[in-house]
Amino acid sequence: MREVAIIANVKIAVIDEDVVVRDFVVSTLMYSVNRNVVAFDNGFDAWVHFEESGFPDVVVADVNLQEIDGLTLTSRIKQVQPKTIVALFSDAPQNENAAKEHGADVFMAKPFGVNELFNLVQSFVVEPYPSENEKAES
Amino acid sequence: MLRLGTKPEYMREMELDDIFLSRLQLLVIMAKAYLNQYPLGEFRQRSILENAALVQIDAAGLAEEATALEVDDPDTSAMDFEPVFYQRIKLLTVMAEAFAKGHSLEDHKREALEHNLESICEAITFRKKLSEMQFLKVA
Repeated sequence: MREVAIIANVKIAVIDEDVVVRDFVVSTLMYSVNRNVVAFDNGFDAWVHFEESGFPDVVVADVNLQEIDGLTLTSRIKQVQPKTIVALFSDAPQNENAAKEHGADVFMAKPFGVNELFNLVQSFVVEPYPSENEKAES
Repeated sequence: MLRLGTKPEYMREMELDDIFLSRLQLLVIMAKAYLNQYPLGEFRQRSILENAALVQIDAAGLAEEATALEVDDPDTSAMDFEPVFYQRIKLLTVMAEAFAKGHSLEDHKREALEHNLESICEAITFRKKLSEMQFLKVA
């Protein structure tokens, strides 16, 4: 199996009104990447933070958020910082197409668990660790 | 767009039981990673301590519920688990707190952790006892 490395100084933000779900997602992602994970309970506070402190590499957000909902937030992020990966989660099947239309990179259908969050990390937060041969070639 | 999670027909709001089982699964992974000597780190340590504390609180509540239900109706218990299962989870949370704080687990403690993990994983995977699955006794 090829070795992997976590993207250096990866920044992750989690946004959800439900503190129980939010804290679970934060715990799992923080453990996965061994980096701090910032959390917000509404879209507006998250957006203000991104504008003031810079956009994270990965945003994990519920579709249903106060003030700025997850779909609007996704569109705004993609307009300003298209490289930011946005993962939206929802319990409503009709939000899957809406997430795609608004530019989300990932749709996570509730209920989800640890495996789905590990899959997210594996897909977007780790990169192949260069072998000694590859290092020598570069 | 990558799709993760439940099939559309099974989508629903996440309940406290979903979170409890997911956090327990995370705690098992944390313990197995420790046993395999995977690297820790500041944020992993923090995550283990937070997760262990929350699982311990939930397990205590569910243990009380399971005990009460068992008294009322011997055939029913909280989330189909027996009270001793929650004691095993409490033990796992204490063990996780110990290794997250850097206390070394000597050989017999490592064995106890491995044995505890085995029992919890078996209970999560097989909510019914093997003896209750009569269909397995016939070819």
